[in-house]
Amino acid sequence: MEEIMTTSQGCESDMDCSDNECYEDYYNINDDSDIEQVDPRKVDPEYFEFKCLYEEEVDRLLNETVETLSNILHIPPSLAKVLLHGHQWNIEEVTRKYHDNPSNTLITSKIEPVTTHSNIIMGRYMCCPVCVMPHPVDKFHSLTCGHLFCRDCWTMHFEVQINQGISTGIACMARECDVLAPEDFVLRHLTRPNMREKYQQFSFQDHVKSHPELRFCPGPNCSIVVHGREIKAKRAICTQCKTTFCFKCGCDYHAPTDCQVIKKWLTKCADDSETANYISAHTKDCPKCHICIEKNGGCNHMQCYNCKHDFCWMCLGDWKSHGSEYYECSRYRENPNIAHESVHAQAREALKKYLHYYERWENHSKSLKLEEQTLGKLRSRINQKVMSGLGTWIDWQYLFTAANLLAKCRYTLQYTYPYAYYMDAGPRKELFEYQQAQLEAEIENLSWKIERAETTDRGDLENQMDIAEKRRTTLLKDFLDV
Amino acid sequence: MAATRRLQKELGDIRNSGLKSFRDIQVDESNILTWQGLIVPDNPPYNKGAFKIEINFPAEYPFKPPKINFKTKIYHPNIDEKGQVCLPIISAENWKPATKTDQVIQALVALVNEPEPEHPLRGDLAEEYLKDKKKFTKNAEEYTKKHSEKRPAD
Repeated sequence: MEEIMTTSQGCESDMDCSDNECYEDYYNINDDSDIEQVDPRKVDPEYFEFKCLYEEEVDRLLNETVETLSNILHIPPSLAKVLLHGHQWNIEEVTRKYHDNPSNTLITSKIEPVTTHSNIIMGRYMCCPVCVMPHPVDKFHSLTCGHLFCRDCWTMHFEVQINQGISTGIACMARECDVLAPEDFVLRHLTRPNMREKYQQFSFQDHVKSHPELRFCPGPNCSIVVHGREIKAKRAICTQCKTTFCFKCGCDYHAPTDCQVIKKWLTKCADDSETANYISAHTKDCPKCHICIEKNGGCNHMQCYNCKHDFCWMCLGDWKSHGSEYYECSRYRENPNIAHESVHAQAREALKKYLHYYERWENHSKSLKLEEQTLGKLRSRINQKVMSGLGTWIDWQYLFTAANLLAKCRYTLQYTYPYAYYMDAGPRKELFEYQQAQLEAEIENLSWKIERAETTDRGDLENQMDIAEKRRTTLLKDFLDV
Repeated sequence: MAATRRLQKELGDIRNSGLKSFRDIQVDESNILTWQGLIVPDNPPYNKGAFKIEINFPAEYPFKPPKINFKTKIYHPNIDEKGQVCLPIISAENWKPATKTDQVIQALVALVNEPEPEHPLRGDLAEEYLKDKKKFTKNAEEYTKKHSEKRPAD
């Protein structure tokens, strides 16, 4: 991957001429002097470079950074670690700040105090201010601030803090003193193996969380840490547990919507779902013969089992108008006179608008689940075919590829609805909804063809797959802005 | 137990200090982890009475902070109807084992004398305090007269 990345310059081509490029590559395969290679970052809007690391690898990565800083600034590794943790592991920033003003950097990073506490020690014994017990002077330790406390109190302080889940943030015991206890100081006072282990585990978690290029895989019981090349809201897939998530926020992948908007949308949906559920029932009546129809497949192109009428599940309009013509049922038409209506009417309009987007969001989410069932059925049908000698298992593989592509496309389509909901009206929204409609139409075509796979020509299906994916990429290229 | 030794010392120090704003400290012989005492504020509208409080120290004291509860009803933006008080010095995040109880009490007395409506526990009183100080003072004074304890003679 890296070789490809470094050789790219200004490849302006988009998907439409990629065929041509492959052709050129084919003939120049041994001649690498003057061909421009395809830069995946320009062709694929979702391209994201990342690595899945085990705990030991993360430890090594963090320790290397600590060591580098420690060598640059000539400070102990444990202090370098505190500095890095406080500066999001940005070694350049720490170095620059430190060279500008070393003492100020150490003070703001809570490594050194604003003023050092001076101790007047008389005799061989001293009273610890925390446990108010006399101890020999050599039993007293302090951080850089000079606040002396006995060894046992330090141990107790650390144990209580660690049991509350605090590790990198443990401060001195003195009042109004912010100086942080560095790792080596804490470990020197922790004797119980389970406490040491807990401390190391918590501080590891803190360090990963403070490092913008690292993120814990959100998969259940998965200990993988994803290391991303860039800090962007892009799709990461855990190699261990296969969980797919957004690298920036750790939630479900949500392109083309960005992290803040999807969070707002999900919160809104959680708040309003009762109303929405109430209003949008799970069944609809056939617009022609009015028989009650339950949607049991992912495709929105419905065919009434009673009267054979073809219609769209979303708008209940004739499907004919969705095929060749401009597919429009994904677009919300705002009432142009809304500003003059009463508050009550405005609230109704706001709810109507929300429901428009919510229903589509929810519908595609359900379709995704139903299409998973379709895949199961497909598998058993293919099994039967193979058993009865109609081709081999490999011959039918393309159907699974098609089903996977369908899921990928529908997933993106689902996440276009929150994006559109929060968009301001205007030409850009119109363009977005136009592209969304195009994508939706092709996805429904693909879904229809997969559900009737045996009667669909393979070439036709593959053509449809190509169209759907191109629509998806085009939309992301224009609107995925991370 | 570390808590006992330290609390005995702190109790002795406070009793000897002759603090005017916190007195009548009562501690059960068998349980030094619970203290009761009387807060005697200097500023109006609370200087018309006194307020009984209870301080509860955890077994892990001084590594964990004490809790303070008002036993006397008080009309105050930072103290709720249950007698709970929001005092940053004893919050879990800010607590320092070297903080002494007399410092905690001084912080509490300061808060009673000077309410902090910016981070209230009772939003309604904070609003009244900020918007209509006269009305607040009048209400608080009446409330104090009605509900508070008698102030010590000296």
